Amino acid sequence: MRLTCPYCGPRDHQEFTYRGDASAVRPVLDNTSIDDHNAYIYDRTNPDGLHRELWNHTSGCRTHIIVERNTITHDVVSCEPVGPFAEQLK
Amino acid sequence: MADLAEKLSPLHELAMPRSGSDKVILSERLCDSLVQVQAWPDSVGEVEKQIKQTRGKRNVMPTGPGRWLIDDQSEGLEEKLRKKIGAELGAVTGLTHARVVVSISGEKATWVLASGIALDFDVTAFPIGTTQMSHHHEIGLTIYRVGENSFDLYVFTSLVRSFWHWIEKASAEIGYSVI
Repeated sequence: MRLTCPYCGPRDHQEFTYRGDASAVRPVLDNTSIDDHNAYIYDRTNPDGLHRELWNHTSGCRTHIIVERNTITHDVVSCEPVGPFAEQLK
Repeated sequence: MADLAEKLSPLHELAMPRSGSDKVILSERLCDSLVQVQAWPDSVGEVEKQIKQTRGKRNVMPTGPGRWLIDDQSEGLEEKLRKKIGAELGAVTGLTHARVVVSISGEKATWVLASGIALDFDVTAFPIGTTQMSHHHEIGLTIYRVGENSFDLYVFTSLVRSFWHWIEKASAEIGYSVI
């Protein structure tokens, strides 16, 4: 599987580190609900099909990207930069 | 930054000069100054300007968004850059002791590197004078293309012996020399 880093270009996925489900939203800090925090940490839908996930180009420019990937076929639909330099990388 | 102890080669006996084929020529170099500069998103232009204005014979390698690795042929670059680039502009990190440069050249240099590093080494995809980051068996590498058949690889000091073992074995099939 190849991922296209917005800074380095297309690279083998082994240069990247999987950083988790990009659709999980951290509860706001003053939310004291244990259930909400538990859901953020543990509850995953594990879809068969398109999935948005965070990857970090660990062995490259160390940029985080959001990869939209088909979990059945491994087809990569898109790779978007995220983080403080995201606008400059688009 | 306080002066560190005298620079010692982590490769030591492994990289002793020896004659052999000139199809692959390996050598080791310890940097006089190796500095990483990371700009903040709104100070990239200013940091780039400050790097250009700092005199010296050097190689400035872009290694990420707003980030450069600078290999200077004189000592003291870190202090010079710290005076110009404060915390409001970015972060200056001295890596002189943290990396060893493994140089590889010769007509089969590209062939050797391509046997273990998943990069496109064609000169159109990786032009002379440009930098690529990758890894070999999870040892991170910053690779600068010096010429069509000549590369400088910046390798973590603590892992360079392992990397050297690989590059020697990969070169052995066609013969190599160490200078």
